[in-house]
Amino acid sequence: MHFSLRMIDNQSHFEKLYREFHVLVFNVALHYLQNTEDAEEITQDVFVKIHHSLENFNQKSSYKTWIYRITINQCLDFLKQKNSQKRFFIFGKKSQNEQEYLNASTFEHPGIAMEQQEDAKILFEVINTLTENQKTAFLLSKLDGLSNPEIAEIMQLSISSVESLIFRAKATLKEKLAEKFNTYRKK
Amino acid sequence: MNMEKENWIANILNSTNGITDVVPSEDLFSKIQTRIKNQNKVSEKTVWLVAASIAVLVLLNCSLLLSKTKEEKTATTAYFETTLNQSNQLY
Repeated sequence: MHFSLRMIDNQSHFEKLYREFHVLVFNVALHYLQNTEDAEEITQDVFVKIHHSLENFNQKSSYKTWIYRITINQCLDFLKQKNSQKRFFIFGKKSQNEQEYLNASTFEHPGIAMEQQEDAKILFEVINTLTENQKTAFLLSKLDGLSNPEIAEIMQLSISSVESLIFRAKATLKEKLAEKFNTYRKK
Repeated sequence: MNMEKENWIANILNSTNGITDVVPSEDLFSKIQTRIKNQNKVSEKTVWLVAASIAVLVLLNCSLLLSKTKEEKTATTAYFETTLNQSNQLY
């Protein structure tokens, strides 16, 4: 009786967390992967993980921070898996997965205004060339609008490290965009 | 030229300004619930596979043990025979 009551309690808690955070998880995944189906898959994976580890959640950080961490790790694992598939298929016929990966830069973000879509495509293409940490810090700062202390807590780094990551990310983006400008001018 | 370049870069970097949240499909929660339910259940196939593997392991261990005791028995009889027939004398 006590056990089933606890299960019902956990279930309603889980539903509450889903209602509160599913849009956040989906959007973080969308910014990372730039593919709606992949973002939905990641959202499913994240909430299955949350369901399994909800009982062991130690309350050392807030639910928001915890869910951000799970989502980012899940996205990074997904990208690593996709990259290894890409390497594997380099010797064979192009798989559907590889095709999807190569098309990543042509993705149109549904949350961006129509007139900005072309510019946003170029930006996402360049963001994908950043290192893992720079990409995470930049996306959380620029697209999620988080403050540096919040990003530092999620990434488990010091605030100064986050500041430096964002600074370097912006510098790299400007550098790569400057290179792109020359090819853009030639067209 | 430089001004044009700077403006272009600034436009690209600011292209995500005013980005709005995207809402996932409505059936996502039911998909998650189904996955959780399916993961909680262990398929019958897995149960049989584990049972068969354990049975094979037990059989292998038993046959190994049996062959080892048989070997030991023949070795002691052979040793007893050689020590007994060394002198060819009965007394």
